Amino acid sequence: MNNAKADIFAAIAKARPAKTKDAVAIAAQANELAAAMREFRPPAEGDDLVDLFMARASSEKVGASIERVDALGALPGAVARYSRANGLGTDFSLQPDAGLERLDWGAMKPSREIAPDTILAVGIARSGVAETGTLVFHSDPEAPTLFAFLPDHHIVAIEAQKIRRWLEDYAIAEIGTVAPRNVNLVTGASGTTDIEGVLVRGAHGPRSLHIVIIGNAC
Amino acid sequence: MSAPTGTFDERVAKALANPQLKIAMERTTGNARRKRAAAVEAWPHFNEARRIAAAIKDHVIDNYEHYLETFERNALASGAKVHWARDAQEACDIVVHLCLASGGKNVTRAKSMLGEEVGLPHALEAAGLHRVETDLAEHIIQLAGDPPSHIVWPAAHIAREEVAELFRRHHRDNSNSDDVPAMVASARRVLREEFMAADVGISGANFLVADTGAICTVTNEGNAELTTTLPRIHIVTAGIEKLVPSTEHALQLLRLLVRSATGADLTQYTTFHCGPKRVHDRDGPSEFHIVLVDNGRTRMLAEGQAEMLRCLRCGACMNHCVVYRQIGGHAYGGAYPGPMGSVLTPNLLGLAATRDLPSACTLNGQCRSVCPVDIPLPTLLRGWRDRSWREGLEPKKTRNFLGLWAFVAARPALYRLGITFALPIIRLFGSKGWIKRMPLADAWTSERDLIQPPARSFMAQYAAMKKGAKK
Repeated sequence: MNNAKADIFAAIAKARPAKTKDAVAIAAQANELAAAMREFRPPAEGDDLVDLFMARASSEKVGASIERVDALGALPGAVARYSRANGLGTDFSLQPDAGLERLDWGAMKPSREIAPDTILAVGIARSGVAETGTLVFHSDPEAPTLFAFLPDHHIVAIEAQKIRRWLEDYAIAEIGTVAPRNVNLVTGASGTTDIEGVLVRGAHGPRSLHIVIIGNAC
Repeated sequence: MSAPTGTFDERVAKALANPQLKIAMERTTGNARRKRAAAVEAWPHFNEARRIAAAIKDHVIDNYEHYLETFERNALASGAKVHWARDAQEACDIVVHLCLASGGKNVTRAKSMLGEEVGLPHALEAAGLHRVETDLAEHIIQLAGDPPSHIVWPAAHIAREEVAELFRRHHRDNSNSDDVPAMVASARRVLREEFMAADVGISGANFLVADTGAICTVTNEGNAELTTTLPRIHIVTAGIEKLVPSTEHALQLLRLLVRSATGADLTQYTTFHCGPKRVHDRDGPSEFHIVLVDNGRTRMLAEGQAEMLRCLRCGACMNHCVVYRQIGGHAYGGAYPGPMGSVLTPNLLGLAATRDLPSACTLNGQCRSVCPVDIPLPTLLRGWRDRSWREGLEPKKTRNFLGLWAFVAARPALYRLGITFALPIIRLFGSKGWIKRMPLADAWTSERDLIQPPARSFMAQYAAMKKGAKK
């Protein structure tokens, strides 16, 4: 133990001696508190999680645009339509995800690379949170972090059945898995209110976020 | 960065004489208050939730050693390097050493109040490193050479015309107008190049997650992720009070933090960073360092201010503070302004130099009522006042006057006699019900009039009334 750590621990032990060193008891107490908090969450009612997710993600606060398609095979069509509507051309960066790379991209020209001047990137989220309209990404070789931050426009596919209601549902589902380098919770496009409180989109990350929901919840 | 100079009174006088400042502060804090109020209104159980949030933080404080050990163990297992710093100097030394050892010169920073607290911006520049602030507001105040004036909106004191002027002077493409989107686009272009050229990225942490060893950052701009993903080295500086037991607890506290700060349900980008990039990852830093900083936190634990360690740094207390809204952030003279700053700054800079801060408070209790972790800020501020008195830090004039007052107030007959003589004399200075100036009352009458008292005290009038009723 280096001196600084030893000194800090000594100061803590003197100021607030630990009541217990029993890790199981401490964990039980922490779990009780988390469970208590689950009783007092903000309202996120409605049976249909996809509807709730869509309402939250497209709300003024979050500002994403959304569409629904039947199957992943319809994603290239959705990307082509979005690109045409926004005049973005046919070149785009495709997250190097095996499932996405297998799709028939037709006239659209995917690249595995992402660059500071990338206009459009397309990716797929690991899961979603309806409560906040949030997309969840875990970094891995098939899901580089920068795809969600460098492009001007970001199109994200998410399977309807991977949408959960609460933030806690995400955390609980991941217990026991190895934490990735980055967990990115993305809620809408990049924004800033740093100049006189005026909201401007596209501060450093994407100016626009378009979500394509794939299939049905069950 | 130029630190605020002069005494507290001088800084306040300067702030009050600046009408632009009041407009800028009112725009930012007014917006923040309205958005927070709407968010809290939409959460019927907000009050219960903030009590539990306080209990979660208290649980960690009660078990600091356990959670610090757990966090360090898991962080090390993820491949992170963990460093410990007792004070500001030690924290800066560690970070500067890591930056210099990298062999590079370019350092990007994502806004971190801990970094401001320990003086990291200055330390990086003193070491000859090229420091680039990437949060838009931090970028603006770096160009202006100002310290931050708010913990969430550091450039709250700068109006859009001044930002445009700064950008025209400092950005290569200086054609942009006073149009806010154009200014944001200009900063995006300039900072993109800096992100790509960076050797080291430095961030703070909103949470240290014990059970995974991850640290959590929250931003709306996306600058934290570009700061931490692109360079070869990512350094995190975080106060030890940022610990939470698990990811679930972090997300639960985020609900309160974000609503209290900006009124949103969640920040646009909430990111957990765990260790360096993994084998076959296509991006991410190859070195990941976490500097855990005490800098007065264990002293707060020892000196009866443990509740302050709950603080999530949301800024709601300052947005609702009648004093902060008048004098802005710079008058406080430390990294943290407003009510939470008035509690923290005496701890960080010493009470002797900062005893004016806890006194510059009306004790109206607004700060506590909006605090998402229910910190008893007025009680903590009174604690500093108490201590300032006990340690003899109050000026002699104040001590003498309060001593005399206490002597007289404890002797009712003497007090009434004094009032009987004083009232007619005080009345001589007034006209039409108001006193514009009076000896010994300058501090009050320089800014506002004093009410002219009635000729006889309440007690005297009451006695006379009772006598009249008996007749």
